[in-house]
Amino acid sequence: MDKDIAISVRGLGKRYVRNSGPKHNSLREVLVGKLTTLATLGLKRRRKDHFWALSDISFDIRKGENVGIIGLNGAGKSTLLKVLSRIVTPTTGEAHINGRLGALLEVGTGFHQELTGRENTFLYGAILGMNRTEVEAKFDAIVEFAEIREFIDTPVKRYSSGMYVRLAFAVAAHLDPDILLLDEVLAVGDAAFQRKCMAFARSLEKKGSTILFVSHNMYSIKTMCQRVIFLKKGRVVFDGPTAEGLKLYEDDSRMKDAHWFWSDDDERPIKFTSGVIESSAGVDSGVIAHGDRLTIRLRYSTTRRIMAPDVRVSIDRQDNTHCMTFSSKQDGMDIPWIEGEGELVIQTPPLKLTSDFYLANVAVREKSVGKLLAAQIIAHFHVSDHDLGSLSYGVFNEPGAWRHAALAPANDSEVPAPTRAFIATR
Amino acid sequence: MNAAVQKALSTGAERHVVIRPTKGLFDLEMGSVWRYRDLLHTLMMRDIQVLYKQAALGAAWAIIQPVFAVVVFTVVFGNFAKMPSDGIPYPIFAFAAVLPWTYFAEATRRASTGLVDDADLVRKVYFPRLIIPLAKVSAPLLDFAIAFCVLLIMMAFYGVMPSVKLFAIIPLILIAGTLALAIGLWLGPINVRFRDVKHTVPFMLQIGMYASPIVYPLSQVPAEWKALYSLNPMVGVIEGFRWAVFDRDSPDFVALGIGLLVVLALLLGGLVWFKDQEQSFADVI
Repeated sequence: MDKDIAISVRGLGKRYVRNSGPKHNSLREVLVGKLTTLATLGLKRRRKDHFWALSDISFDIRKGENVGIIGLNGAGKSTLLKVLSRIVTPTTGEAHINGRLGALLEVGTGFHQELTGRENTFLYGAILGMNRTEVEAKFDAIVEFAEIREFIDTPVKRYSSGMYVRLAFAVAAHLDPDILLLDEVLAVGDAAFQRKCMAFARSLEKKGSTILFVSHNMYSIKTMCQRVIFLKKGRVVFDGPTAEGLKLYEDDSRMKDAHWFWSDDDERPIKFTSGVIESSAGVDSGVIAHGDRLTIRLRYSTTRRIMAPDVRVSIDRQDNTHCMTFSSKQDGMDIPWIEGEGELVIQTPPLKLTSDFYLANVAVREKSVGKLLAAQIIAHFHVSDHDLGSLSYGVFNEPGAWRHAALAPANDSEVPAPTRAFIATR
Repeated sequence: MNAAVQKALSTGAERHVVIRPTKGLFDLEMGSVWRYRDLLHTLMMRDIQVLYKQAALGAAWAIIQPVFAVVVFTVVFGNFAKMPSDGIPYPIFAFAAVLPWTYFAEATRRASTGLVDDADLVRKVYFPRLIIPLAKVSAPLLDFAIAFCVLLIMMAFYGVMPSVKLFAIIPLILIAGTLALAIGLWLGPINVRFRDVKHTVPFMLQIGMYASPIVYPLSQVPAEWKALYSLNPMVGVIEGFRWAVFDRDSPDFVALGIGLLVVLALLLGGLVWFKDQEQSFADVI
């Protein structure tokens, strides 16, 4: 194998048995199942329903490369990382890993609730493949990074979820692997901690580590990876420069059914055929400035008349936080019926969403409370904000009017008492 | 980076790994278990630390359990049933057997259900899965050591002089631990698929206890059944304990020999079975 190659994958495949019938989880059920098969002389043998979570995956990753793995839910991204980290065994093909590999598939796996932060640091370090001397040498740096020094001897069951995640990530961050597999783990904790994680990932990059990164956060993929591998139904459909791959992925997910939507109708009564999200300048670039008005244009086509439709456009943050919904009914536009083809245009008020990655969906109900007829992804977009920078927390950011007056001025002259009332100007 | 870390890094994990669908049936990968010995140690320590956390009596439970069993046995079998005890006071006669049995039962129970208890780890992290049953049979050794101190106190109380033979309990308890590991290797992978194992083990251990010379001496077993009876490796271990504690002339080499062969056969078969099943743990658990 070439010395510069960190990961080499050839023809990798993973087959699972799809559980169509009830799961056989107790011995009794299996015995009954086997007896039935015997009694019917195997004629009624349950057909095994296989599916390939991964098929014929091949790629090489050079040392020091950062590669993002993208794809819709169920495309095989996590399975690929699980195979590469040796948790599951592939069905076909092989992979060569050259170097010390660290896999962070879920932050904090293996933490024990009853143990203290200190004990868990050693436990988690060992689980991630560090030995005791190594954890000892890095212990102070880990506690520093996690910012939990005063709680280090408290059982983690008393930790807040933020402290828990910080400690887990801090241990993982000090693993110093040659190759790091990351599965969505950067999308934990609050915004400030996420930034810390991103900074850490970039520091690994500077050290020359190879990073394989699964994320739905296109923004972090854009900033971290020069190359993306786009998986679709377990196959590689694109492997190349990030910008090109993300464009393919975003185009590919446009107008697709939302992953939670399921319909038993063979023919949809209504389908949205196109959707664009324009900034106030009239461009659909996928980047929107904080506070900008959007124009969302949707084209539809129906196969029958739909009475009193309620069209809802919702905006979700990349971590699936539901941020807002525009409803045609609620916003006061009563559409008696729609039929054939047409266009809907929504002009939004200035959107004060914080800088993050968002996804716009459209859904339609007949007679507002009737059956859900369609739910589709319109597009992904990123809200950029140069002013707020690291100060933006939460979903929305609106300035408030502040006033301050000192009621009991301190006598101690060394402490300057604020006397001037001020109003925030932003 | 200091020298210790540098060294740790170069020995910590494998440098070059090949991932393939199947491994040879007899490729037991003992080398990788050795490389992950720090994890083995840490998981064992975790099990020890966790066991008596938030229990008011703490490690005293390690003593209470076997002592209570012996009190009950003494009343029921020693006093009511007048069970012979080879001329030794019944309480210490029973305790010398309850001691290894308690360890064996606990180790077997934990080794059999360990994979499922640590399902989170199995699903999300790679390490040689053999580490789990190994850690599970090691952790109860501490309880054994604590209870052993009680035995020493009882020996002083009943005037049993310790001899150099007492050191023989070290290899004997290792045999008991190996047997628990072997059973865990067989039952652990089954438990991954069928949780029934969890309910079956306590019941099998109950039967096993009466199929071992704990409340009665080996001399009570009819001679024609003795060979069959000795297929239970705990027979040799328990009689060995009594030999070591009561300074008898010679241990029951036949029972011990048969038991040892059974343990080895169970262990080798268990290792092959466990390694064969290992690949599907994360998919099924």
